[in-house]
Amino acid sequence: MTAVTAESVSEFSFEAKYKTNRKTPILWILSHAIHQWPWILMALIGATSNAALASVVPIYIGRAFNQILEPAPSLSLIGTYALIIGVSQIIRGLLQFARNFGFEIIAQNIERFVRQELYVSLLGKSMTFHNLQSVGDLMARATNDVREVNYMFSPGFNLVIGSLNFLFIPLIVGPSYHPALIATPLAFIILYILALWHYLKILNPITGDVRQTFGNLNSRLAEAIDGVEVVKGTAQEDGEIDRFYDNAVDYRDASIRQGDVESRFLPMLLLGITMAFGLAHALFLMQQGQLTIGDVIAYFGTLSLLGFPTHISLFAYSQISLGFAGSKRILELLNTENKLDQNISGNTQTIEGDIQFKHVHFGYSDSDPILKDINFTIKPGQTVAIVGQTGSGKTSLVKLINRTFDVNQGEVLIDGVNVRDWYLESLRNQISIIEQDIFLFSRSIAENIAFGKQDATREEIIKAAKEAQAHDFIMSFEEGYDTIIGERGTTLSGGQRQRLALARAFLTSPKILILDDSTSAIDSETEDRIQQAIFRAAEGRTTLIITHRLSQIRWANLIIVMRQGEIAAIGTHEELMKKSKSYQRIFSE
Amino acid sequence: MGFFSGLAAEKYDRQYSDKKLLQRIWDYFKNQTRRLTIIVIAIIVIAIIDAFTPVIVARGLDQITQESISTQFIITLSGIILLVGILGWFANLLRRRFSARTIAILIQQLSTDAFQASVRQDLSFHDSFESGKIVSRITSDTREFGQLISLSTDVIMQFIASIILAVVLLQTEWRLAIAIFLLIPIFFFLVMRYRHIARKITREGMRAMANVNSTIKETVSGIAIAKNFRQEYAIYDEFAEANETSFDVNIKRGFILSVVFPVLRTIGGIATALMVYFGALTVLEGFVSAGAWYLFLSTLDRFLFPVMSISSFWTNVQTGLSAAERIFALIDADRSVKQIGSIRPQHLDGRIEMINVNFSYMPEESVLSNFSLHIEPGETLALVGHTGAGKTSIGRLIARFYEFQDGQVLIDGTDIREFDLVALRRQMGIVSQVPFLFSGTVLDNIQYGCPVCNQDEILRIGGKIGDGEWIETLPNGLDTEVGERGSQLSMGQRQLVALMRVLIQKPSIFILDEATASIDPFTEKQIQTALDLILSETTSILIAHRLSTVRSSDRILVMRHGEIIEEGDHRTLLAQGKHYAELYNTYFRHQSLEYIEEAKKFAKRAPVDSILSN
Repeated sequence: MTAVTAESVSEFSFEAKYKTNRKTPILWILSHAIHQWPWILMALIGATSNAALASVVPIYIGRAFNQILEPAPSLSLIGTYALIIGVSQIIRGLLQFARNFGFEIIAQNIERFVRQELYVSLLGKSMTFHNLQSVGDLMARATNDVREVNYMFSPGFNLVIGSLNFLFIPLIVGPSYHPALIATPLAFIILYILALWHYLKILNPITGDVRQTFGNLNSRLAEAIDGVEVVKGTAQEDGEIDRFYDNAVDYRDASIRQGDVESRFLPMLLLGITMAFGLAHALFLMQQGQLTIGDVIAYFGTLSLLGFPTHISLFAYSQISLGFAGSKRILELLNTENKLDQNISGNTQTIEGDIQFKHVHFGYSDSDPILKDINFTIKPGQTVAIVGQTGSGKTSLVKLINRTFDVNQGEVLIDGVNVRDWYLESLRNQISIIEQDIFLFSRSIAENIAFGKQDATREEIIKAAKEAQAHDFIMSFEEGYDTIIGERGTTLSGGQRQRLALARAFLTSPKILILDDSTSAIDSETEDRIQQAIFRAAEGRTTLIITHRLSQIRWANLIIVMRQGEIAAIGTHEELMKKSKSYQRIFSE
Repeated sequence: MGFFSGLAAEKYDRQYSDKKLLQRIWDYFKNQTRRLTIIVIAIIVIAIIDAFTPVIVARGLDQITQESISTQFIITLSGIILLVGILGWFANLLRRRFSARTIAILIQQLSTDAFQASVRQDLSFHDSFESGKIVSRITSDTREFGQLISLSTDVIMQFIASIILAVVLLQTEWRLAIAIFLLIPIFFFLVMRYRHIARKITREGMRAMANVNSTIKETVSGIAIAKNFRQEYAIYDEFAEANETSFDVNIKRGFILSVVFPVLRTIGGIATALMVYFGALTVLEGFVSAGAWYLFLSTLDRFLFPVMSISSFWTNVQTGLSAAERIFALIDADRSVKQIGSIRPQHLDGRIEMINVNFSYMPEESVLSNFSLHIEPGETLALVGHTGAGKTSIGRLIARFYEFQDGQVLIDGTDIREFDLVALRRQMGIVSQVPFLFSGTVLDNIQYGCPVCNQDEILRIGGKIGDGEWIETLPNGLDTEVGERGSQLSMGQRQLVALMRVLIQKPSIFILDEATASIDPFTEKQIQTALDLILSETTSILIAHRLSTVRSSDRILVMRHGEIIEEGDHRTLLAQGKHYAELYNTYFRHQSLEYIEEAKKFAKRAPVDSILSN
């Protein structure tokens, strides 16, 4: 295949507002942030002027002090200073708000667009990808990690950028009184950066330990409580208590180590020393007559502004590093390759229903083959039962037919044409797969049935439901076809879900029906209904059923017995009864 | 989301009197008095330093303004500031270091006690309360309580510092001091209003977030379906809507959160401006020195900002204490299963007698009344009946998971209450309907009830089941990881592991609540073999859902409404054509070979009209 961009080969594409750079987390974050430039500008102006205006207070207090020590102090001048302080602080409030809200808008916008980008990308990924990725993991990335990226901007960058400005105020204000006064704040900044770097280097692995030990504690705890019947039944209470104690002690020790490191936070000490040295320096200059007392007060007040970055830095930096970790994980997901392509110019004929596997090999990785050298032919209209233990490759086998997965070696042919040469949309429209876990959306029953044919009329939906033996139980709900699934305790049994899925299939009338039928019926009447629905669905189309039901195996036109990725036996019921011992065994009482 | 749900009250929750609660809390601090003393001293030192630093600077200023400045004075003043800075840092170090220790130890002890209590609780307790909520009490609530401790030290520190400053200010110039104090209620009011609004909008934000999360969860799970039907755009629209809603709510929330500090800051700024002017006025009038004026200016912030944390403190105390209350309620929850003896049987014959037993889960709904049953050593008994007939209850009473209200349960002629529970259960093999596996390997799980049983023995016994084929099909044999709750294994494999657990434990009594899950016919055959191996060596009580199990029993008890209504073997009972025959037609018929042959009639095309006329 020629080199094409990720978008053009994916199964689903969507016009995004802007393209992002997915090379590194930093570039990626930047490529999102750049589109927020008006807000960034607002926030930066807010951050810088907020800090500048903060310095007005100590400067004018210093002037007021000078004034009051004059032999004839002017109260009106002091009043003017007070007015300057008051007005500047009102403006500062507005600017601080601009900074906070600006970063908030940036953060929320980025969260929204990142989540959208991720979601579009997920929709475009192949089924191979979705089968390998657990839903829980996807959820964590789409929710928590995206949130972390949000927090990275607000409060993360908000506080870091906001407080960094405070770091520079003494550097500017100090020399305005006397050039030498730059020394103390400059020394502080250098030492502060070193101390912080050292601190984070020590702290990071320990916070990792804390998270890890808590994770261990929590997951074993949840298992022990969930499995408490086994714990009691096997008389292992004491064993579990010991295990919990060990985990709790590990967590405790890690927490203590974290507390020890945090308690030795050096920048706090640096701040104290800086204040003392700054004061001494200013007083010496005053002694030499180079500074007034008001200048000393103003300078001392300016130095105390360093407290803000010192106190806030810890929290803000960890927020940013969490954000980067989150964006790294999101990026991993975005950059996972798509293997399938749509093949728009491919075959679009009506399917007859002839299926052929020729030396098919399949696996997610070469070292771990799932299917090995599979060969068989199914004629149009046949019903095929696929039998075998879990993990024998039954599900993977049927998913090669609609290209949910692609073969690694060999060919899958439909009506003599390799599935890769079919237009994907046309192929999937004519092949219907009913999975083992039947997924229903929390919408009305009617909408769920009509999912594959959105323009279906109510009559068509009811007809399909009747054919699938679902009409009766649907009507037993108060709202009938308008019952919202999952609401007010409307939970459906496995058999009911299966029949809704069959109704979907009746509505779309696929040429090939693939049914992963592993639900069990509790009672014989439900069993009758399911059997009827399935036999009815199998009429007039090629049908593959992965099944545990002996009755379906018994009456299939062809039975494929799978074992560890290979066909262990294949043939009709009569043939297998003759040649396979394990097959005989399951039909004995 | 599980955020608020963890706070919901449970039936076993109780209200402790304040005195009792504090007593219980104190019990956990008792052995940490040395650490607590150090923390308290550190807090006081920090508070004093915090309060006096501006005072020292102000007094220093007065010195400077009154006389010319000497080198010695400079060194003394800066020296004091330096010392105070170092001392403050060191006191903080002690406070944090010892708080971290105290809290970590507290959490460890509290959570261990809570876990121990819940593991020892009766099964009836675990059946009535969601496991997630119990877990959240053991982890989240203990941490929440721990946070209260560290928060308290912060707030108490600020509080002490404020009080000291207030006294100093009052002594310096009472009019200015009172002017400052008047600001506090205004601040307090604003902060409370703000907290109220912020809480509301935060809750809304969380709800919107939960909505996005559930939409994402639903649509991500539905991607397979959407792809099969090519409906990606439909689910994208659904997602986009939830995402936009969340954005809108969060922008609103962001606005509220962004407004608070600037507003407080502005008020603080205006207060400073006023203090500059009126303070100068008092200096000029000769009421205070210039240094005192400076003191008032530099302490304004120190007064106003603790109001923020102190106003939220009470709420935090309440949540912290109710967390403690929830933990203690879990620890103190009553148990209903009570033993009166501690007989530790080395072996049991397996004779089980239930004599006139009355049992109910809830007082008004009797499950078993005046129920009697006699099981011979080595007998295999199958219990059948509709849901709610009382089959499971019999198993639970014999396993001593639940307490019965009246009558007697005897094992080998001894009252079941006379046994040591752990020792008794070692003689029992219990397999529940959904076999539970712990994360770890298959081997770990088989050995769970018998850590000393060795691998060779397990392989030998495992080999008897379907020629050990089930071990071969596990990717790494016995070393295969089963995943969380056994999720990496199929239902059939999990059942085999659970049965293997019993096979190596070699109990005298076997209680099986048979699974209803569908299992592939090959594995099902192997499960049957494993079952037969167990049945041949134990007294067995089977709550049967499979035809083959019913058939392999010595005796079938047909139950209805907690009573035995028919008794006998499969053939006899079926021939009687009464309740058992009805049960057979409802539950077992489709499992029989006759039915399988009959299924052909469905395969024949049924006329569409007849289906539609239903």
